[in-house]
Amino acid sequence: MFVYEKRLQYPVHIKNPNPKLAKIIMTQYGGPHGEIGASLRYLSQRYAMPYPELAAILTDIGTEELAHLEMVGTIVYQLTRNLTPEQIEAQGFADYFVDHTTGVYPQAASGTPFSAATFAVTGDPIADLNEDLAAEQKARLGYDNILRFADDPDVAEPIKFLRAREVVHYQRFGEGLRILTDKLDSKNFYAFNPSFDK
Amino acid sequence: MSDTPQMALRRKLSAMRFACWELHLFLDTHPNNCDAARRLEEYRQRLARATKEYEEQFGPLCELSTETSRWAWINGPWPWETEVDS
Repeated sequence: MFVYEKRLQYPVHIKNPNPKLAKIIMTQYGGPHGEIGASLRYLSQRYAMPYPELAAILTDIGTEELAHLEMVGTIVYQLTRNLTPEQIEAQGFADYFVDHTTGVYPQAASGTPFSAATFAVTGDPIADLNEDLAAEQKARLGYDNILRFADDPDVAEPIKFLRAREVVHYQRFGEGLRILTDKLDSKNFYAFNPSFDK
Repeated sequence: MSDTPQMALRRKLSAMRFACWELHLFLDTHPNNCDAARRLEEYRQRLARATKEYEEQFGPLCELSTETSRWAWINGPWPWETEVDS
């Protein structure tokens, strides 16, 4: 089960609203490389992991992604506080505002709502772990692209923290993949699916 | 904005918590690494002290915290709020 800790993994204290930036950052909440997709991907892939190290790493990273989801939601929330109708209009936030006001909805920057079609659960640990490595790089580049627009240090600092976590997760998944292949037939990793062909 | 006392204490606690988490993840793929396990134990003890100090002043962080004030749990600031909001 899950237990809530009443604090963010890394502090977020944003003074100045910026709805235009909020709309871009929102993509890491519910977009194709966002945190909710990351969490659901890892927590759903766990069931087919044949070795204990792999079950552990997917559980723990899938859990940390929920803490990141909360951080991104907080950034979006704090960037859209105390807005005037003029700011909403001038900063291109009216199309979001009309449906959601300033609620935080899981969608991509383009406006597409979150979809599980953005990730895979194949039941094949080699395929899943390779997807996870790519997923961490896609999330990393998303944060790199956000940093091109985030000139407010109140926003950039937590985004840099999130970016650094993607790099660490990539490292841990790489080790997970190595642990897996070390246990398979070195002449043919694909001889059988260790999760299905017992 | 300079840190309020609550923010400063939470920052310290979060640093200890982060060290524990990072070592915990590392040990998932390196379960035999005694050095990491030792460092985790050291940070766990520092975290326990920081948690006690924080919860005594600002209320429970978790459902099963030793500090059990109901009002302190439901009252803000919630993590997405800043001290200014509450």
